[in-house]
Amino acid sequence: MGEVERTVEDRLRQEYFILLPEIRRVADRLEAEIKYHIRLISARLRRHERLAVRCRVKSCESALEKLRAHQEGAAFDESRPEIYTLTGLNDLAGVRVHAFPRGRLADIDTKLRKVFPSWTADPVEDDGDVLACKYYGKCRTSDRVKGEYQVVSMLTGLFWEVEHSAIYKPDIELRGIDQNFGMRERTRDVAKALRAFEEYFEGLTRQG
Amino acid sequence: MEIELRPLDTKQHILDEAGFAYNFDRRVYFNRKTKKIFSVAFLEDRSDEEIKRLIQGATDDEEWKFYFTSEPPESVRRAVEASIG
Repeated sequence: MGEVERTVEDRLRQEYFILLPEIRRVADRLEAEIKYHIRLISARLRRHERLAVRCRVKSCESALEKLRAHQEGAAFDESRPEIYTLTGLNDLAGVRVHAFPRGRLADIDTKLRKVFPSWTADPVEDDGDVLACKYYGKCRTSDRVKGEYQVVSMLTGLFWEVEHSAIYKPDIELRGIDQNFGMRERTRDVAKALRAFEEYFEGLTRQG
Repeated sequence: MEIELRPLDTKQHILDEAGFAYNFDRRVYFNRKTKKIFSVAFLEDRSDEEIKRLIQGATDDEEWKFYFTSEPPESVRRAVEASIG
């Protein structure tokens, strides 16, 4: 009986579950290091200020979806399965640091940059604005799995969570909607509005 | 008073006007009538004038014409065509 032909997705799912223990180790390590190094900033927050550290291990299907979305036409070339690997993704293990107001972002970014000096900067930019400081690299816990951390305004970060988790992720058919040009302009409008809100708020609290 | 469109809105407007629809799953704009498919990456790299020119260009109307940054492999073409229906 002939062997059933495996798709690129089948191979990637197998790779994911081989990597999963390492992904978890990287995520745990990254979260612990980040929390430790920003503890003094957390301790000095004013009553209205917020700082939250969120850690996540990318799910198998999200990892496959991300790799697929990177291909033009969002489809794998089935004739060359060997060219695809999840180790190419920078965010199998990820930590996001949310801060409010955005004036705190620079302190956190500077601190963490000293802790992870060799990590590659990959800022989230839109229309010339930096929406989030983002870095990826490898921890001592794994030489295959890369981790990523982001430092982002809490309002922007929570908007992204709502946008992705509540709107796109439950319905796989909607996942590419964020690449539509009209949607991207609307998303850009939200980012600008949130930024304006925070800057005005910060201006007032500095006066008060 | 004429409202000036922002860059991405301008591209969207050009595609809407020419009867292109967006496919969420494959991240492509397509037109069943003219049998043209544009990837988002391709459109991002091109000026509005070039996009208009490519939209207006004639095709043989028999097979889908792919406008990607590099020639898509056969399995990718099939997957995209299957999604578009």
